[in-house]
Amino acid sequence: MQDLRTFRRLAVATALVTTMWTGAANAAEVSFFRFFGDCQNEYGNVTDIAKANGECGIITVLTNKFNAENTIGAKVVTQTVDWGAYYDQLTATYSTGNIPDVAVMHASVMPNFSNRDLLTPLGKPFAELGIDTSDFVPAALKNASSKDEIHALPYDLHALLFHVNIDLMKQAGLVNADGTPILPKSPEELLEQGKKFKEATGKNYIAVESQSSEGMMVRLFDSFMWQQGVDVISADGKTASINTPEGLNAAKLISSIYSDGLANAGLDYPGAEQAFLNGDAGILINGTWGVDNYNAQAAGGKAGLKNYGVANVPQIFAKPAVWADSHMWVVPKDDSRSPEETQAALAFLKFLNDNNFQWSRTGHLSVRKSVLESPEFKALPHRAEFADTSKDATALPAIQNQRAVYNAMITDFNAMWLTQTDPQAALDAMQAGVERVLRRNR
Amino acid sequence: MASARTSGLRRATDILILAATVAFAILWLLPIAWVVAMSLKPNADLMRSTAGFLPIPFTIENYTNLLGRETVPRWLMHSLIVSVAMTLAVLIVSSTAGYAFARLEFPFKRTLFLIMAAGLMVPEQAVFIPLHTMFSDWGLHNTHFALVMPRVAVPIGVFLMMQFFRSVPMELEEAAAIDYASRLTIFLKIMLPLSIPALTTLGLFTFIHAWNDFLWPLVSATRADMYTVTLGLASIQSNFAFTEGLGAVMASAVFASLPIVLLFLIFQRFIVAGVAMSAGK
Repeated sequence: MQDLRTFRRLAVATALVTTMWTGAANAAEVSFFRFFGDCQNEYGNVTDIAKANGECGIITVLTNKFNAENTIGAKVVTQTVDWGAYYDQLTATYSTGNIPDVAVMHASVMPNFSNRDLLTPLGKPFAELGIDTSDFVPAALKNASSKDEIHALPYDLHALLFHVNIDLMKQAGLVNADGTPILPKSPEELLEQGKKFKEATGKNYIAVESQSSEGMMVRLFDSFMWQQGVDVISADGKTASINTPEGLNAAKLISSIYSDGLANAGLDYPGAEQAFLNGDAGILINGTWGVDNYNAQAAGGKAGLKNYGVANVPQIFAKPAVWADSHMWVVPKDDSRSPEETQAALAFLKFLNDNNFQWSRTGHLSVRKSVLESPEFKALPHRAEFADTSKDATALPAIQNQRAVYNAMITDFNAMWLTQTDPQAALDAMQAGVERVLRRNR
Repeated sequence: MASARTSGLRRATDILILAATVAFAILWLLPIAWVVAMSLKPNADLMRSTAGFLPIPFTIENYTNLLGRETVPRWLMHSLIVSVAMTLAVLIVSSTAGYAFARLEFPFKRTLFLIMAAGLMVPEQAVFIPLHTMFSDWGLHNTHFALVMPRVAVPIGVFLMMQFFRSVPMELEEAAAIDYASRLTIFLKIMLPLSIPALTTLGLFTFIHAWNDFLWPLVSATRADMYTVTLGLASIQSNFAFTEGLGAVMASAVFASLPIVLLFLIFQRFIVAGVAMSAGK
């Protein structure tokens, strides 16, 4: 009898422990693979999104908030990865066996994964989760789609901008009565205004990354090509139209910026930022991601830049257009992922989508029309100054090896100012280099 | 008179050489001083200017942020395990293979030597993909074994040890053989102790290479709990670390190089002896 009682107690205890263990195992873990840095020291326990700043801060706090507030017991575990090596490591996870559940991805890189069927289609899950895809800006939804299926949650649009030192522009007589900068409307005006600026201030009209592999001027070249109605790469990804009269117009204009002394060809990315922040240049050609930082620097009082403004990349040719890319969230395909883990990953995506406005505080543009039109977005510093950017935003077509195309253009294009290569010769080399990459896609 | 002139000339030459050495040493140390100075400045200030060798304004925030992370000891542990294991394995393989090529006669010796020499001509990147695929098929990624084993066969290490063993007079081994010492005894009790300077040089360079290795761990240690120091430090950097977080990047660089600097300070006598010995050949 005693033995039976003991046995029953043991059985109940075992059942309880098993249930608890199963219960614990049912709290699904979402492995979250991203760059943007690690700021656990500053934001590790913070769940109040109002306290977060910058890409790292905002995504960290959003993750903490989801973990604290979700009702399905999901726990997001973040794995940060170096930006430069991110795609190498993400690709490696498919063969090392720890494929993440949610990962960040640029729209320009997505075809490399979606074309090889490495991403989970999200159209149906979005409908089930109540994510309204008609709320996305068309360009963003297009970037997130491949083969008529949505493969990613678009999260932002980041584009080239003209960051402006209003004080220097005023000194050069290039500011309107309402305080907005006077920007060129043609190639001739760009060079004239640049010369006028230089004579009046003694400083460079433009600061832009010219030495490193960021390829900021290639992005400007792409923008000028689209402004002339020419697609750098055809939509089907088969042909490149770089070595064209329009290409020569754009290349000659950019080459003249350097040869006329309007920009310093010796600046790398940090150097260009330093020149702008120290008040040594009127315009910094860089992306949306710098807005909050430059605003903070100008407001801080220590920088040479005091009066900071932002403008869309001006329409220099026939129509407005500007280079853009997107950050998106994807769910890499993993046959070993359980239904609970998938549910948790999708719940996290829904949460991120619901908090898209918070991400737009970084300086990146929201991809949701409802957020772009909201008073809180319009109240963010300087956003009204580049509100049209999302309308003019254009990306290279979603083709495999799009990044390789971009990299193939940079070296030959930079040669124009680094080794004084003739613009036509630079275009010939770019065309040949890009065609070599496109041939790999066939 | 002639000897006074010679002595004067010699002194002048010594002074010139000393001056040149000091100048080169300063040139070498300037970038390090700059890195240390930047690591002790606030990131916001570095965004505006990176000039100056003095850390003004001064902050230790970059170091406290780094060292306050729970993950740092784990990164260090993984790096230490991998570096020590790789160093020991390379020393064992290189010394035994080097001795075999230097002193032993065995079938296909010449062929094996040529195959080993051919390994010097194959760049690491050329075998990267098949190596990665091999370890994937074995399910061995995210293990210390995968981080260590691909780096154990080092042709240059075998060459170094082979050259050293060839320089040891045969009479030493013959004398030991007369006293009925076996080949293994000769290797362990005579050759290895003599080769300590060469082993130290090889060991130190292997350790540094292992400690600094980034590319292979990047694609093999893809789980955060297996990150080595190099991967870990890279993973915490923001997208624009070189503009918005330059102080933190520099602090990471100083932190990652401290173990190597310490190692050099402890073993510098052996390194100098090893390099001098190699140069003498």
